[in-house]
Amino acid sequence: MKITEVPQDITFYEGERRACYALNDEGKYVIVPSTGWEYEEVVNGLAVNELAAHLEETRKEVLVGIRSPLFYHMESRQMNPRILAKTAGIAVFRVKRHFRPEIFARLKPSLLARYAKALALSVEGLKIVPGKRDGRGNSK
Amino acid sequence: MGEATVSKMNSEITVSGRAFIHQHAAHCESGVTAALFRDKGVEISEAMVFGIGSGMFFGHLPFIKWVGMPITTFRSRPRTLFPKVAKRLGGKFFTKEYRNAQKGMVALRNALSDGHIVGLTTNIYWLSYFPNRFRFQFNGHNIIVLREIKNGFRVSDPILDHPVDCSTEDLERARFARGPLEPKGFMYWAETVVENPDFRSACLTGIKESCYMMLRVPFPFIGIKGMRYLAKNIIKSPDKLGFPEACRRLANVVRMQEEVGTGGAGFRFMYAAFLQEAAELFGSDELAELSQEMTAIGDIWREFAVVSARVVKQRGQSEETFAKAGGLMLISAGREEQLFKDLDKVARKLKA
Repeated sequence: MKITEVPQDITFYEGERRACYALNDEGKYVIVPSTGWEYEEVVNGLAVNELAAHLEETRKEVLVGIRSPLFYHMESRQMNPRILAKTAGIAVFRVKRHFRPEIFARLKPSLLARYAKALALSVEGLKIVPGKRDGRGNSK
Repeated sequence: MGEATVSKMNSEITVSGRAFIHQHAAHCESGVTAALFRDKGVEISEAMVFGIGSGMFFGHLPFIKWVGMPITTFRSRPRTLFPKVAKRLGGKFFTKEYRNAQKGMVALRNALSDGHIVGLTTNIYWLSYFPNRFRFQFNGHNIIVLREIKNGFRVSDPILDHPVDCSTEDLERARFARGPLEPKGFMYWAETVVENPDFRSACLTGIKESCYMMLRVPFPFIGIKGMRYLAKNIIKSPDKLGFPEACRRLANVVRMQEEVGTGGAGFRFMYAAFLQEAAELFGSDELAELSQEMTAIGDIWREFAVVSARVVKQRGQSEETFAKAGGLMLISAGREEQLFKDLDKVARKLKA
């Protein structure tokens, strides 16, 4: 890759730039910051959109009462039950039980507080999911 | 050395009043290690660190799933590069893990007030200064903390081209995140380094190990064998897995190649830069030629990424196919095999 070939297609990194190794005119390697590559956007977009679509589905499931809000917040933090269980210090099988809305609704405040801490949310925030469609919804 | 490293400089002051130059790097672990050495007065580039620490690698592990996808990696295991470089260049490093988050944070503050700059292993999801789309639950990101500031720390993250502020809460969560490959608050800094390290013998050790990893590991999914295995898998994948799933898998390979801080083409360009520096160090034309060959191979990997992205984007409507993508990978596998065989011979001939 030559310096002129370092992709500067799109501002893909939200204003940040990423280091690429490329050859300068004398054939020496230098680090060149790149703003983004269109092909990278395609593959990253596939993964990001998939996560977003999945999260949106989960949100709807929570709203109709199939799953508890805990499940939504776990997914929005890109965790799985095992990571959440370890972070909150609660056994995996209990965490999975708490994905059922009727059981989640009866949780003690102390348990809710532990989940809230693990997910970096307030206890109030843990109990609800966004009502309207708001895209990815996992910014801090 | 040095020419291949400096593109943008950012001067910072550490606790002890020394100047710290933030340098943009392609990869976190090699970038942090290089910065820790430079801080102690050993002038070394990221590419050199990458080569000496045998960062070059390929592995495809179909039976270990990560977010539902087989692991494909273009680099050696996280947290192996740094100790190898330390050993080969004769530096003594303080390293410690912490179970207790409070103790870990206190230890960090103590280390900073003792005048060290401190390397930390973190979870990338909780570092909110990162662009959102690159934040995911990965526990192997390395950063350097320079000093404490109000409500947080001044951080030199080699992936970004400037130092950033990181809140205390973010940093604590990132250091003590749970899950696979837990960082456990891992913290390290250089205690002493050899003033004029023996770069030549370190390079040769690094090169020989990389050749071994790429060519002769007696295990089917590692090195060139892994590349061939994956390439054949990709060619068959649309029939075996169905088109959408095959696309997901292919996209994941490309993400591992380009997105996770590789300097382009899955570290191949960075390795070419290392070979170029090594060629100067030894005055070896053979190494210089191998560096050019590595660049050419890197270009094939880039083409593989382009073809794959078109396959994914066009959903089978374009003339690009899985067979073509897999074919390109087979070509680079063949050329890399020859390259590492030659490199092995050259490294055995050269005197440290």
